Amino acid sequence: MTTTALTQGLERIPDQVGYLVISEEGVLASAGELENDEHTAAVIMQMVQTACKFRLHGCAEPPFKRMSVMFDDHVYAVTVSGQKVFVVKRHNTQREPMQV
Amino acid sequence: MEATLEHHLDDTMKNPAIVGVLCTDQLGHNLGSRGSLSDEHAGVVSVLATQAVSLMRDPTDTPTVCLESDSGNILIKAHGTITVAVHKMVL
Amino acid sequence: MGCCYSSETEGTEQSQETKPLIPHPNPESKPNNGTERNSANLPSARTDEQALLSSILTKTALNIIDVSAADSQGMEQHEYMDKARQYSTKLAVLSNSLSQKKPTALPSLTSQPHQVLASELVPYSDVQQVSKIAAYAYSAISQIKVDAKEELVVQFAIP
Repeated sequence: MTTTALTQGLERIPDQVGYLVISEEGVLASAGELENDEHTAAVIMQMVQTACKFRLHGCAEPPFKRMSVMFDDHVYAVTVSGQKVFVVKRHNTQREPMQV
Repeated sequence: MEATLEHHLDDTMKNPAIVGVLCTDQLGHNLGSRGSLSDEHAGVVSVLATQAVSLMRDPTDTPTVCLESDSGNILIKAHGTITVAVHKMVL
Repeated sequence: MGCCYSSETEGTEQSQETKPLIPHPNPESKPNNGTERNSANLPSARTDEQALLSSILTKTALNIIDVSAADSQGMEQHEYMDKARQYSTKLAVLSNSLSQKKPTALPSLTSQPHQVLASELVPYSDVQQVSKIAAYAYSAISQIKVDAKEELVVQFAIP
């Protein structure tokens, strides 16, 4: 896959305000609010490495296909495919008033 | 009393969608756990919560880290000096 | 215990982990908590009074850790320096063999990253629920306090 092919799909994700594609060597592509955001890239990479050590009892594979870091108004959605880490920053629009 | 936490963990497990719960301190010591989550997860859970803090911009908005799959999610949330992980299945 | 990378340690590595880097110079001086000395092999042919006394002694010994026998004192400054040097040489050797291990390759979590990233977020109600569970757990934990009722170290009067 070329870099353009990788990023075209990311741009079409609903509510996305920026993305990163990272490999072990560094940032391959970035855009929007995450453009050249080396700090976020480094932190997410560490988190991916930590999370991939997570195993549920008796399973050989990590028990997840996406890791999300959720804040009140935005979310970092992260996944790994073909040795690349994909990060999309999305607006968190689903927040509703507290149920009483 | 420690029994308060144990009681709270038992209460949490009464939710049929929740199959595991774990409470750890900042150093990854397991303070109490039930179901699918146990000692071996405490380290990863506390480290993930600590690392996620580096992504914060608003000090009042602590993030929730979710490890998501089709069958269920593991949600991790820090509060003060502790971190809690909840394994919730899709019903 | 649950330390971060505990899942990596298996089989032989486990025993390596707890083994001291530098063997104890004189293992005989290890703190003895007194139980072995007193509880083992009491001769059965004794008077009742003696048996009673020794049972009291045994019970007391079981409840005591003899901190005075712990060999924490008596390290000279040059001994510290020597130890520090010994440890850093040992560590340098060990870390050399560690760095040859490649960082583990990232597992592929999906073959359709775009679809996975675009799919619906975790329901906000679940996020709220976990926040509540964490807040309750925190307040439960803050109620745990060590309630020291007596002195932990007592001196035995030796006549």
